[in-house]
Amino acid sequence: MLSIENLKAKIDEKEILKGLNLDIKPGEVHAIMGPNGSGKSTLSNILSGKKGYEINGKVTFDGENLLELETEERAHKGIFLAFQYPMEIPGVNTNTFLKTSINAIKKARGEKELDAIEFLKLIKEKSAELKFDEKILNRQLNVGFSGGEKKKNEILQMSILNPKLSILDETDSGLDIDALRIVSEGVNSLRNKNNSFLIITHYQRLLDYIKPDFVHVLKNGQIIKSGDFELAKELEKVGYEDFN
Amino acid sequence: MQNELKLNFDKIISLNNFSDSQKKIKQENFNNYFEKGLPNKRNEDWKFSDINQIISKNFDNLNFIVDQKKIFEEKDFPLNFEHNKISFVDGKLYDFDFKYEAKDKILVDQNLDLDDTINQNTLLNLNSAFLTSVSKITIKKGYNVKKPLILFNYLSDGLKSSAINSRVDINLEDDSSLCVVSFLNENSEKNFINFRQKIKIGENSILKNYSLDPNTSENIKYLNKDINLSKNSHLEYFILSEGSKFIKQDINCNLDDEYGSISLNGIINLENEKHHEIKTVINHKKENCKSYQLIKSVLNDKSKGIYQGKIFVSPEAQKTDGYQLSRALLLNESVEFNAKPELEIYADDVKCSHGSTSGNIDENSIFYLMSRGLSYSESKKLLTNGFLNEVIEKISNEDVKKLVKKLSGINV
Repeated sequence: MLSIENLKAKIDEKEILKGLNLDIKPGEVHAIMGPNGSGKSTLSNILSGKKGYEINGKVTFDGENLLELETEERAHKGIFLAFQYPMEIPGVNTNTFLKTSINAIKKARGEKELDAIEFLKLIKEKSAELKFDEKILNRQLNVGFSGGEKKKNEILQMSILNPKLSILDETDSGLDIDALRIVSEGVNSLRNKNNSFLIITHYQRLLDYIKPDFVHVLKNGQIIKSGDFELAKELEKVGYEDFN
Repeated sequence: MQNELKLNFDKIISLNNFSDSQKKIKQENFNNYFEKGLPNKRNEDWKFSDINQIISKNFDNLNFIVDQKKIFEEKDFPLNFEHNKISFVDGKLYDFDFKYEAKDKILVDQNLDLDDTINQNTLLNLNSAFLTSVSKITIKKGYNVKKPLILFNYLSDGLKSSAINSRVDINLEDDSSLCVVSFLNENSEKNFINFRQKIKIGENSILKNYSLDPNTSENIKYLNKDINLSKNSHLEYFILSEGSKFIKQDINCNLDDEYGSISLNGIINLENEKHHEIKTVINHKKENCKSYQLIKSVLNDKSKGIYQGKIFVSPEAQKTDGYQLSRALLLNESVEFNAKPELEIYADDVKCSHGSTSGNIDENSIFYLMSRGLSYSESKKLLTNGFLNEVIEKISNEDVKKLVKKLSGINV
């Protein structure tokens, strides 16, 4: 589904990714762990189309050259990024935003857009699954949300949009134990043989709940080791600095 | 243009049956104007909007005498809520309808009570010199007007290069309330509109005044409002400034007695080469009054926006709360925004603040929205609409709020 070959990325002449390779097949859950500054967020930004990087290498998504697609086209094709720091959008009602988003994607795919009733039904169902207080959806998007509410809102968006590839950029940071469990359950409920996940994290804790199929260690802009869940446990013991 | 103007003035004097005192006031106003001319950028209040230059650039000649047509077909303007209305054609009272109200509680009449002091603002001199009537709306003591009052301002079809002088005063007697929506909804060719309004809000009375300019027009407009608030009265004022080629709104509020409060909010939303200014002066004259102002601007293409806001606190006005904030989004490098916030405080126990920011649209927010499937232009639109929507949400009348959202296309 996603194939990354020798990906290099620079920002302001500083090389951040230095030849990264990764292959994700449908239904797989991959975790990328790494210390601060190793290039984790750069990778998620590049995959979802953020501007400002000088990029070399090859990235294909379902056989298409991903790097040639605009950010919104990637969303239309089923890539979703759960932001580390979701943006606050003042004056925009969260429900209005969610409806605009899902209908933009449906329209691009040539599917029928949701009317108000269908949308509300979907929102009700998904918020209940995630134990997300619906009242919050009548507030301005992410404005005044607690850290946990922002992250849960990202997972709610993910579950509404039902993407093929979900990238979770440090979704666990700033979450308390209950929120972490809810977020993990949200991810697990979306797992099936077609949907894939790329989970970026510092810690093993989230992975205890989500149980990835593969764990990769990112250091200095490269994946230096790949393995299964045991690798995450080892990392937690040894620490990033001494890990080679 | 000056000689033509003099001929116009002589003609208006000879055509109308003004009393001697009216003639005298008109002549003095005319003389003051004739001597000083239109305000220009050397005048501090006009330094961002040189009206003299704007008028001469837009008009070869201005006709100051407009015959009111006897029959005017009101354009159908769909409003889906119950409302009272007064219509004005070419600045003069045309028709009114207060079918939802007690008949003896609202007076609408015309007179020609001109101020006998000569204002130093020459645009007001021009207004007084050429007015043939002043419309006056009075809400009687203790009456709460049930439905919003819509003021429709039409111009006759085909009218062009004309100077329209109009004056509509509103007087809320004590313990009364009124919600009034002033529509600048003319779609005529290019004219110069000079619209003055004096408003008095009695004790314990509430005025909600919404000034809307939603339709694109070539008109050049100057709106001058003097608003006096009595004890324990409240003014809610909202401006939607987006349609006309040029508008300057000059709003002077006087908190004449204790416990008065003002919430003054506005949107300047411009494209092309439009040039809009909001200038406010809030005079805190007595203790325990409050004023809040929020002005947000979104500027596109080569447009220009200005907010000049002054809060004046007199020595007597202890326990004053006075706030103003201006925020502007500049969508490209060809736009211009000027803000001039001023606080002038002579009392020592007050809380006052002002702030002004202007900046570009946040690219990280755009990226966030695009990652959810919205195109760049859709994302930009959602962000700017959200930015402006915060001001619209301050409108307390739900029907008017919905109307403003519909007219401005800001619905988020």
